[in-house]
Amino acid sequence: MPRIRKLASGAQIIAPEAYPQMLSRPEAVRALLNLHSAETAAKAQVAMEAAIPPMRAAILRYVDEMEAAAHDLKKLFAITHEIRGFAETAGLITTGRIAEILCRYMDDMERAGKPLDTTIVTLHASAIARAARAEDDDVRTGEKVAAELAALVARRLAEAR
Amino acid sequence: MALAGFESLKALIVEDNTHMRSLLRALLNSAGIKDIGEAINGLAGLEILRERKIDLVLTDLAMAPMDGLELTRHVRNDEKSPNPFVPIIMITGHTERYRVEAARDAGVTEFLAKPVTAHNLFARITEILERPRAFVRCESYFGPDRRRQEIENYAGPRRRAEELPDARVG
Repeated sequence: MPRIRKLASGAQIIAPEAYPQMLSRPEAVRALLNLHSAETAAKAQVAMEAAIPPMRAAILRYVDEMEAAAHDLKKLFAITHEIRGFAETAGLITTGRIAEILCRYMDDMERAGKPLDTTIVTLHASAIARAARAEDDDVRTGEKVAAELAALVARRLAEAR
Repeated sequence: MALAGFESLKALIVEDNTHMRSLLRALLNSAGIKDIGEAINGLAGLEILRERKIDLVLTDLAMAPMDGLELTRHVRNDEKSPNPFVPIIMITGHTERYRVEAARDAGVTEFLAKPVTAHNLFARITEILERPRAFVRCESYFGPDRRRQEIENYAGPRRRAEELPDARVG
């Protein structure tokens, strides 16, 4: 196989051997062994656990900001997106899922050029705040709430299309 | 024990959220990657890429004033790009199909949906190390080959999605 092939269309295919790689082959072999070692997994686990408390604290601050931005939908979307980004990493599964539903709803409606139903936004914002502030992440209740909100959003999106 | 293999690797994290930057740095550290630059948006990331040799980029999608897509396009297409072939992993909560396709078309190497886990991040790095992608240069695109697999004995001009049983969006 040539390192650089030219197709009939004029496109060039450049084989991996023809451009600089991230690591040399011997380094890559050692890196792969290391990446999949028990030692690395243990260190990564420690890193993930250490990240949780500051992330949870940050999410609570975002929730305060989200509530304060109730009438600024652009800002509310940006904050909700941040919450969606790392709530689940912080162990707040329900918070992350509801934030995900709200983000998708706002994104889909914007793309469809339709106005947002502020009741839907308020319901989600309220559910996100309650889930984030709950001491324990009550997954069963949270999943039920998330499923009901998702169904509501699906109906409204269907109506909007 | 010195076995990391990553001693010489220089990584760059482009992410506007301080908590995500810290987490990504900690995860890379745990794998033995120590030389890590950080930038809070695409513009700042591009400056670092012009100043230093970088071997791996992790970037968020939504940032201002320059997002991860624009950063990727600059890296791949700028005449003075220091390394247009550098692997770029896009890490984002924006997982809608049209955004994934936009990332692919900008030239990202791998796409990682939040929430970030060590397993998922290491899987993307493994993919880059084990199966480096060919690059394609044509009139409208320069970047990793967006097709994940070759079909043997296929000589026709077109490839259809239904002919690719295991095709993945790149």
